[in-house]
Amino acid sequence: MAVIEARGLTKTYAGNVEAVKGIDLDVESGEVFGLLGPNGAGKSTTIGMLTTTLEPTSGTALLAGHDVAKEPLSARGASSVVFQDAVVDRSFTGRRNLDVHARLWGVEPARAEKRTAELTAALGIADLLDRPVGTYSGGQRRRLEIARALVSDPRVLFLDEPTVGLDPRIRHELLDVIEQLGADGEITILLTTHYLDEAERLCDRIAVMHEGRIVALGTPTELRAGLGEELLEIRVDGDAQAALDVLRDDGIAGDDAFSVGSTVTVPLHDESSADAVAAVQQAGLPINAVLARPPTLDDVYLRLTNRKETP
Amino acid sequence: MSAAASAATLPRPRSPIGGTLSPLATLARRRLALTARTPRELVVPLLTPVLFALVIAPALKKALHTSASYESFVAVGTLGLLIPLNTMFSGLSVIVDRESGAQRELLAAPIKRSLLVFGNLAIALATTALQVGVLISFAVARRIHFHPTVSGVLWFTAVALLFAVAMYAVAETLAARVPRSEEYIARLPAIAIVPWFLAGSLFPISALPLVMSYVSRVLPLTHALALMRYGLLGDSSGLHAIWKLSDPTAMAAMSLGVVAIFATVLTTVAVRTFTRAAVR
Repeated sequence: MAVIEARGLTKTYAGNVEAVKGIDLDVESGEVFGLLGPNGAGKSTTIGMLTTTLEPTSGTALLAGHDVAKEPLSARGASSVVFQDAVVDRSFTGRRNLDVHARLWGVEPARAEKRTAELTAALGIADLLDRPVGTYSGGQRRRLEIARALVSDPRVLFLDEPTVGLDPRIRHELLDVIEQLGADGEITILLTTHYLDEAERLCDRIAVMHEGRIVALGTPTELRAGLGEELLEIRVDGDAQAALDVLRDDGIAGDDAFSVGSTVTVPLHDESSADAVAAVQQAGLPINAVLARPPTLDDVYLRLTNRKETP
Repeated sequence: MSAAASAATLPRPRSPIGGTLSPLATLARRRLALTARTPRELVVPLLTPVLFALVIAPALKKALHTSASYESFVAVGTLGLLIPLNTMFSGLSVIVDRESGAQRELLAAPIKRSLLVFGNLAIALATTALQVGVLISFAVARRIHFHPTVSGVLWFTAVALLFAVAMYAVAETLAARVPRSEEYIARLPAIAIVPWFLAGSLFPISALPLVMSYVSRVLPLTHALALMRYGLLGDSSGLHAIWKLSDPTAMAAMSLGVVAIFATVLTTVAVRTFTRAAVR
């Protein structure tokens, strides 16, 4: 059963800026769903519409069966959000921040107290609860925000770039937390991220957004499979686009090849890596490095977000 | 993460709405706690009115050889400065919430967004009431005389409350419309202080040039001050200067009505402006 359903969802800001251009989405109950995309792809706008802090220009979205435009209170009651930026009352203690959330979400005080104790113990911040949040480290604050979001037992948890700005150790610890939440299978999680390793590790399915549209949707395995079993990465000393043009002219590279910076990446499919290297060398383009490897989600992401949309 | 896992098996919380009063009380308590952590928000708006009531008014009385009633006149007049200053300072907290990001969590809550305005309003009114009480206490301690009656106190309370609501609505509207606190503060004097000079605070509006006296009569502050003086001093001359009638009660009722209309309209505008600014 889909807990998040979007149909033809669009958002156009003042000045005719089309941030989201008609997306269709179904996120199943208990699923961890990732929205990937570069800055400006429309990820945060999509989350904003689903959490009713942005009004859709057209289309519909249902959250736990509630239309976000017609029943915003019910939709908000079924969800919680962990925002990209710090969203806390810094002068309040952690406990007070959790208490305000619980009361606004209508959680009975006794249950809120119990959940606060459980969640903060599980997230390793129980000892900090009576300190002002302004004294927390970035990782501690982010854990508090996750605990706060869970106090109301949401059916849907939105995580908007949850690990941005955290140091690598804290980031990995936080990924463990989110992974465990997802493994529980009862909360539906929609997360946005720039980090493809996060998406690969955490998400059951991924939608790649680019210029306001979903350009690919599937499991990480399905998305990788679109690039075949092996690809060739050639780093040239000069214009990688020129190398890509050569490979395409020679029929070695298809539409799914792409270049970023000085590197051209070519899914090989039935082609030979030796032919590809020879073609670039014959064109007089110096090669700095060559690597044949299986495709990763990074390749999928770079291929899909590397091209400008045709008007 | 056993606790997180348990979320799956535990029952869902009760109805997210939970009535209106409970979330309103939560929002008001939050605002009160934040205000209490910044006492300057309470003290700063009080300084100028207290200075006027306790230092400048007696000095004017002495220099101008006026009677003791002038001190009382100005003491009430300073309330017309105190209430706008305090409510406008309260509006700053809306911008602080927005700039700190805390407002986003509140906007994601399953409550009507108008409650965010009313939660702030409740504390703005409470702090204003506290300050009005402090100012009047200082004035009494300075032997400035008031002549309150039961009905007079009711008139005073009603108009002070409605005027504070109206001014807080202006503050909330402005806070929703300007992006930064610096811009908000830059506009504060024009809204909180300029009308004070035209509304019969330091002298009767009949002393104003004719055109300005007409301008004065459409200001809610003019009606509020005239009615406050009627309530606390038993002086209906301010009401008469506005309405040119002989029945003080009728004039008081009409001035109260004017302030009530301002409060209603401005609050409606504030709620709409906040909601539209919050949800783009």
